[in-house]
Amino acid sequence: MNDTEQLVKDALGKLAERTPHPGPTLNALRRKRKRHRNVFMIATAGVAAVAVLIFAGVIASDRYSPPSGSDAAAALNTDNGQTVALKYAPHWLPDGFVENFRGTNDQVSRVWVPAGDKGYPFTDGKPTVVLGTSAELPDTTGWDSVTVRGLKAWVRSGAGQSPGETAHVVWKAQDVLNVEVRGVGDVRGVALQVAESVRFDTKLRHQPPFKIDGRFADHVWGATASAWEAMTNWKNQVSVHVSPQQPELSGQTQPIKVRGKDGFRTGNTVSVLDAGVWIWASAESYSDTVLEAVNKVELVSSPDTSWIGKKL
Amino acid sequence: MTPSFDDFVAEQVTPLLRYATVLTCDPHLAQDVVQEVLLRAQQKWDRIGSVDLPHAYVKRMVTNEYLSWRRRRAAKDVALCMTTLESVTPPVGDKTHHYDEREAMLQRIAKLPRKQRAAVVLRYYENYEDSEIAQMLGCAEGTVRSHISRALATLRLDHTPEPAGVGLRLGEGLS
Repeated sequence: MNDTEQLVKDALGKLAERTPHPGPTLNALRRKRKRHRNVFMIATAGVAAVAVLIFAGVIASDRYSPPSGSDAAAALNTDNGQTVALKYAPHWLPDGFVENFRGTNDQVSRVWVPAGDKGYPFTDGKPTVVLGTSAELPDTTGWDSVTVRGLKAWVRSGAGQSPGETAHVVWKAQDVLNVEVRGVGDVRGVALQVAESVRFDTKLRHQPPFKIDGRFADHVWGATASAWEAMTNWKNQVSVHVSPQQPELSGQTQPIKVRGKDGFRTGNTVSVLDAGVWIWASAESYSDTVLEAVNKVELVSSPDTSWIGKKL
Repeated sequence: MTPSFDDFVAEQVTPLLRYATVLTCDPHLAQDVVQEVLLRAQQKWDRIGSVDLPHAYVKRMVTNEYLSWRRRRAAKDVALCMTTLESVTPPVGDKTHHYDEREAMLQRIAKLPRKQRAAVVLRYYENYEDSEIAQMLGCAEGTVRSHISRALATLRLDHTPEPAGVGLRLGEGLS
């Protein structure tokens, strides 16, 4: 996408924020529908029959004929649950930031870090920009009131769990959204600028590399499209991972049959190379559940990891 | 199961208004277009409500209504009027951009011929593929590409670099 196209996209997103409140449209619709019914009553009484006919001719005419089911289906992307809707994207980030992490399932989180930074698990206090959704607004007592794209929002900055100052912005669009920024100059200003750039995008979707029991991997992260790892916590007992890179495991290794292949058991971890990726699962103590978890992993044939390490 | 018309309206009126606002560059016209379309959709709801994706169908009605609305009124482009827009939703003060290139681009988009504008909106706002845009506008994919190419050429041509020193974004971060 070149500069002009990006500017067009940006401008249209800004224009969308000027969408009028639906109240007047709904009221007008109600009034017109009521008037429409009244006109028919008058027509029934035989008064102003010609006017009614004209009204019906003009207003009730309809040049649309419903499309076939397949036509309508083709009008939008449907994926039968093969991907996760991300729904929101920032259209501005500090220079040099690339996407490093996506968390999905219950809520969505996306994280950008400076190119080359390790990123996940984000415990080093290095610069990060996070965009996420939340189930509900947090308690904003003591936060500063601001606006984000015309919507009421709240911002606060201060020390977080990680080193360095962190700024949080929260607001309610179609969902409750939050932006978190740390490790850059003027965290508050940057957080507000990122928040201002966030837009809804129905076509923004994410395909994690595996599912287990019908649930996608919660977390996917990496440095490049070919160096990634996906993880989920299964049954709150077993940590299940998939990656093209072999896991670094220490301890005595024993062979074990898993997924119909020759795998390994190393302490409380079972690992196996299958379809070009390593699948492994660990728990606090070893049980058949660990083996079951690896067996239950459903790999996605062509996972989309092209977003890893990319700028906007 | 066919959704009721009232449920459909409750769920879709805001997305439809948003789409119509971007399409028309005029919130008032967007309201008129969406009202007209919903009135018609209500009368045909037995049929429309039973298609696989009623919202996609009604969205197409909005597109057609916008295109024909302009033909019926035949007068002129509904030029983007910032005063009108701002009276509906006052702009939020932008503390970081002295000069907002997006505003200038909006005015240029508003002057595009209607089909070009619709194609640009479907491509860059709705992120539709050429085939989807062609289906929505009832034309060939080649025509869609032509509309978008011409629109971009116009938008580039009209783009006058802003005065030095006032147009830089904070952090130069747009990538």
